[in-house]
Amino acid sequence: MSDLDKDPVVHSSLSRPLFIASMALLVCLGWALYDEVYGIRPWKRYEAQFVRLYRRFLHSARPGELALEKQIRSSPEYQKLDREMQAAEKAVAAQAGSIDREVNQMLVPQIMALNEPFQEVRSHIGALTYEIETSHSQSHKESLRREIEEIKKEVKTVKLPMPDGSTKTVQHDFGAMDRQLQDWKNRKAELLQQRVELMKPATQLRAQRDKYLSDRIPDVSAETIAGLERKLDTFDISIRQIHIKDVDLVDRCESCHLGTREPVTITKAAMGGREVFVSHPEKELLKVHDPERFGCTPCHGGNGVALTSVEKAHGYNEHWLWPMHARENFEAGCQQCHNKEIVTEMAPTLDAGREIFRLRGCIGCHRYEGFDPDNDELADVNQQIRMLEQQKAEMLREVGFSVQKGDRTRDNAEAQRLYQHANDLRVRASGLDAKMEQFDMRSRELVREIKKVGPDLKEARVKLRKEWIPVWLKDPHQWREGTKMPTFRLDDEEIHAIAAFIWQSGLEGDLPKNPPGDAEKGKEAFETRGCMACHSMGEGAQKLGGTFAANLTREGEKANYDYLVRWIHNPRQRTAPFCPLEKRDLTAADYQRHNLPFVFDQDHTKCPNDGHEIEWMQPTPMPSLRLTIEEARDIATYLMTRKHANASYANADYMDDPKLKARGEYLVRFYGCAGCHEIKGLEEEQRIGTELTKEGSKPIERLDFALLGHEAEREGWYTHKGFFEHKLKNPAIYDQGKEKAKQDRLKMPNFNLSKAEIDQVTTLLLGSVDSTVPARYYYNPGDARQDIIQGWWVIRKYNCMGCHPVHVGQTTVFMTLPRYQDPDWKDQRPPTLIGEGARVNPEWLERFLANPALSDTDTNRDGVRQYLKARMPTFYFSDGEIRKLVRFFEAMSSQAEPYIAQKLDPLTDQERTMARQLFTSEGAPCLKCHITGDPKHDARATAPSFLVAKDRLKPGWTRRWMLDPAMMAPGTAMPSGLFRQEGDRYVFAGPTPASFQGYPKDHAQLLVRYMFQFTPDELNRLRASAGSSAGR
Amino acid sequence: MKRFWIACGALSVLLLAGCGGGKEESAKKEEAAPAPAAAPIDEANAATVTGKVSFEGTAPKMATIDMSANPACAREHSTAQKSEEVVVNGNGTLRYVFVWVKQGVPDRQWPAGAPVELDQKGCMYAPHVIGVMTGQNIEIKNNDPTNHNIHPLPRINQEWNQSQPPKGEALIKSFPREEVMIPVKCNVHPWMRSYIGVVSHPFFAVTGEDGTFTIKGLPPGNYTIEAWHEKYGTQDLPVTVAPKESKTVDFSFKG
Repeated sequence: MSDLDKDPVVHSSLSRPLFIASMALLVCLGWALYDEVYGIRPWKRYEAQFVRLYRRFLHSARPGELALEKQIRSSPEYQKLDREMQAAEKAVAAQAGSIDREVNQMLVPQIMALNEPFQEVRSHIGALTYEIETSHSQSHKESLRREIEEIKKEVKTVKLPMPDGSTKTVQHDFGAMDRQLQDWKNRKAELLQQRVELMKPATQLRAQRDKYLSDRIPDVSAETIAGLERKLDTFDISIRQIHIKDVDLVDRCESCHLGTREPVTITKAAMGGREVFVSHPEKELLKVHDPERFGCTPCHGGNGVALTSVEKAHGYNEHWLWPMHARENFEAGCQQCHNKEIVTEMAPTLDAGREIFRLRGCIGCHRYEGFDPDNDELADVNQQIRMLEQQKAEMLREVGFSVQKGDRTRDNAEAQRLYQHANDLRVRASGLDAKMEQFDMRSRELVREIKKVGPDLKEARVKLRKEWIPVWLKDPHQWREGTKMPTFRLDDEEIHAIAAFIWQSGLEGDLPKNPPGDAEKGKEAFETRGCMACHSMGEGAQKLGGTFAANLTREGEKANYDYLVRWIHNPRQRTAPFCPLEKRDLTAADYQRHNLPFVFDQDHTKCPNDGHEIEWMQPTPMPSLRLTIEEARDIATYLMTRKHANASYANADYMDDPKLKARGEYLVRFYGCAGCHEIKGLEEEQRIGTELTKEGSKPIERLDFALLGHEAEREGWYTHKGFFEHKLKNPAIYDQGKEKAKQDRLKMPNFNLSKAEIDQVTTLLLGSVDSTVPARYYYNPGDARQDIIQGWWVIRKYNCMGCHPVHVGQTTVFMTLPRYQDPDWKDQRPPTLIGEGARVNPEWLERFLANPALSDTDTNRDGVRQYLKARMPTFYFSDGEIRKLVRFFEAMSSQAEPYIAQKLDPLTDQERTMARQLFTSEGAPCLKCHITGDPKHDARATAPSFLVAKDRLKPGWTRRWMLDPAMMAPGTAMPSGLFRQEGDRYVFAGPTPASFQGYPKDHAQLLVRYMFQFTPDELNRLRASAGSSAGR
Repeated sequence: MKRFWIACGALSVLLLAGCGGGKEESAKKEEAAPAPAAAPIDEANAATVTGKVSFEGTAPKMATIDMSANPACAREHSTAQKSEEVVVNGNGTLRYVFVWVKQGVPDRQWPAGAPVELDQKGCMYAPHVIGVMTGQNIEIKNNDPTNHNIHPLPRINQEWNQSQPPKGEALIKSFPREEVMIPVKCNVHPWMRSYIGVVSHPFFAVTGEDGTFTIKGLPPGNYTIEAWHEKYGTQDLPVTVAPKESKTVDFSFKG
């Protein structure tokens, strides 16, 4: 081979590589262009797809809507309305036509024709006037003024169009033109007003007709759909973003989620299975949180700006701090702003999570701001008192200085001023006294408002069977499924020591000995008095009742009968009072020393030694049902029969070994038992867990995944959500594989939460963030809505919702009990409290909450509904709690504060006679169901006595209730249809006594007025005359 | 060189993949087919199920109703009324048993009958047990000189509670959903109790004074017949009928 052969210029062509390279370049260019337009802009595809799918959906939705509309349009009612409307229009058509002609053919063209020269002159004058104003020379001003006068006198020739098509020539100067124009304009306005008046009946009828149609079309009309379709025709493929300027929030979520705010409901199925296009499932929520004001990501999380991929937009990429909440934790978004609430409407998962956190005792170890309102308030109040005291002392000092200065000054006026200043300060200081007094009262109340999650262990000795304690400590969930007490990972040595300490630190007291009661009666009472609103009975599938308090299926195995009787009779009664100042339980000797009986209750709340407020009741939310001691014995006897037949308990004599006590106390402190229980010597223990108020925004690196970090990353749960879920499922999980001494291991016990419960608590924790949203997003209203926030804490604390529906859509425990499904027992359910604020007088409610028997002597009864077997218990509310509850109900019903009763016209003699006759007539069933005071009758009564109406009810509500009770309480025993509308008043629907003839007023209002002046004498008279008339 | 080709190949694959995206699934129409209009029953081939409901044991003594507090009610009766909870006929059969075809009836629209009357007379419901089809009207009358309120307590249908003046205008009501049974009570007169069986087809009957029932017009097929009694609960029996066939199904409740 020669060198020539090897010459690359001659022998090898570069065209192939060049071709390939240029092709590759072309491909790259194509790819780059594609990527620029589509690749990094996936939302464009979404938008195109949305238009296609949505159009198809609208198209398919249309015929259905049309058919329905057609049907309605051809209904006789619609046709009638349509005909009436047409007739009304026709009747005024001629007049309206002549008005239209005058306006459109004469006035409007003439005004336009004349306006042109008029405006010309006017602007000329305007220009000259401005020149006068700005000119400095007086003579120039004068000449300009003359010029204006001349222009004004100038006569213009105007051709005015006439209705017949001809023109009329007129000659006007400026003033005449102005006058003429004004005349025409006035005439036009007058005519148009006339037309409106003329058309009024027709317009009203048209609105009536259209309303008839829109009332009967459930979703949207065909017209709306057509409008949406037209909108799709001009659909512009572009980024859709919400920009909230003041917080510089940009959310582009709707570039893909295009159906979110569409007026029609778009389902996944309707969009060919594409979930991305569905409408927001809670339209109500969007009304409250308008996306234009709130955006999307403040609630949902995610990265609102990102558009390049689904992963980035949802914030699931690494290092994005606020990933979008998973479906099961959506409501975490609510918590970050609604962080003062225990109940947030429309957030059931979050509410359930909060309730677990509070009720199951998470709060016993973990501080969470706002979750311990009573303790927080107590600290706050004490702080305020100290501050006010200091402020007052400073003021008084200033008074002294001021007076001294005044005494010394030479000038009388100055002395007067200083003395006045001193007096003003004195008055202001006296105002502080009033404030301090309020705080002082509040601080005393708060002592009694504080409740513990678990029972008072000081009572262990008098309450419990000794051998049961170690069995319980070993595994509470084994012994009682679903109990609040979590399972600690204790070994036998620890159990022995803890049991011994609890036993030995328990108070010793003498319980009165009780004879046994009747278990049969006790069972009936347990099932009907209201115990089951909080407590459950039965195990597994047989379990019935509430989850607020303990399951009592095995109560007989653990309890002491005499203690149980005392507890049921009055759960707040303690064996000994505790003095927070001396930090010890007082004994009979303390009282004896001061010659006082050993009595501590609602009326005896002071320490005999130092006068300090004592803790005189057990820190339990369990109320007193005001049962007789016999009934308490019956229930206790029944509960003592509740036990597993084969249960046996090993001897536990070691619990009396004093050597174990110190070790036990150490362990009790170590495990934080005092967070939930009252324990002797540990009354002021602090919480042992980490604060969780901002746990959701703790940097992930500071969540200790221990040895599981890599596994978590691999499996995709290296997130806050993953950390919480795993920890809640198995609190010891992050000890896995660690070499740790026992005391260094994780202490958190296992609550045996279900998957749903874990989701609920996780939702709360994920929402517990140091939020980046601005302050105005936070829900901390200053008006009546704050009363609602505060009230819910009390409602939840005492489980009012176990018995009463408090908000719409809520189920009570009574509604779930089989017995209360029976037609006869349905009326035995406790009353609904929805609308309670509109129903009752707040002053009455205040009295009722303090004393539900409404009597100081006759307490074995319900103050209002004596016929109910379930009984409104006495909760020993503090004044502050009563205030919160009353305000809550008032605010829930949008009532004005303070309440001023509506004035009712007094009854005339004739009206009183009429009302009496109606009440006792066969046509009116009032006295059949309402309590009359006749014991034989009242045994079957199902409604309150009219005697309490005046004090208890609001007249407006009473009338609304009589007219349509099913509207407020569907399923109520009070029948609907007692009155019918006649013109603008309501008349009794049944036969009325002859005296009603010619009575022109509202019958329902007459009965309200009658009821609100009811007296016991009146009731007796009614009862007597009802008997005699019936006997006739 | 080889790598270059691989890169080119990869690029074109990517490009194709990019183009090929966005293939959409066809949307399914998930609308339920509209129910066919009610066609008349094919009488030519219709089968009949008859039977009787017997009662074993001794009839329990029914409590006497105390109407003394309501003279307007008591006046309507010459003798004291007994509760109608259990009524055993002279021939040892059980009255007021609601018998209906629980399973097997073809899913179609059935023609509903004329309104059924439920009267209130002497503060008792007459009859004590009635059956209606879904949507069939019930005409509730008050023949008493006193006020009543009619309060059905359904679990599936909507609850209502309507007052009716003495000898007042009849109320026309119906229930849109199948429900066996709906108890009805009067809050004013707590002893008053009636039961309404609401069935989506016309194949039901209530036993009367002879304790028998007849269900006519059944299309041939396999059925489950249920007998319901307010105190003794329910019993199911299977039955298969051929065209024009008449079969007997007897129930027996133990006291």
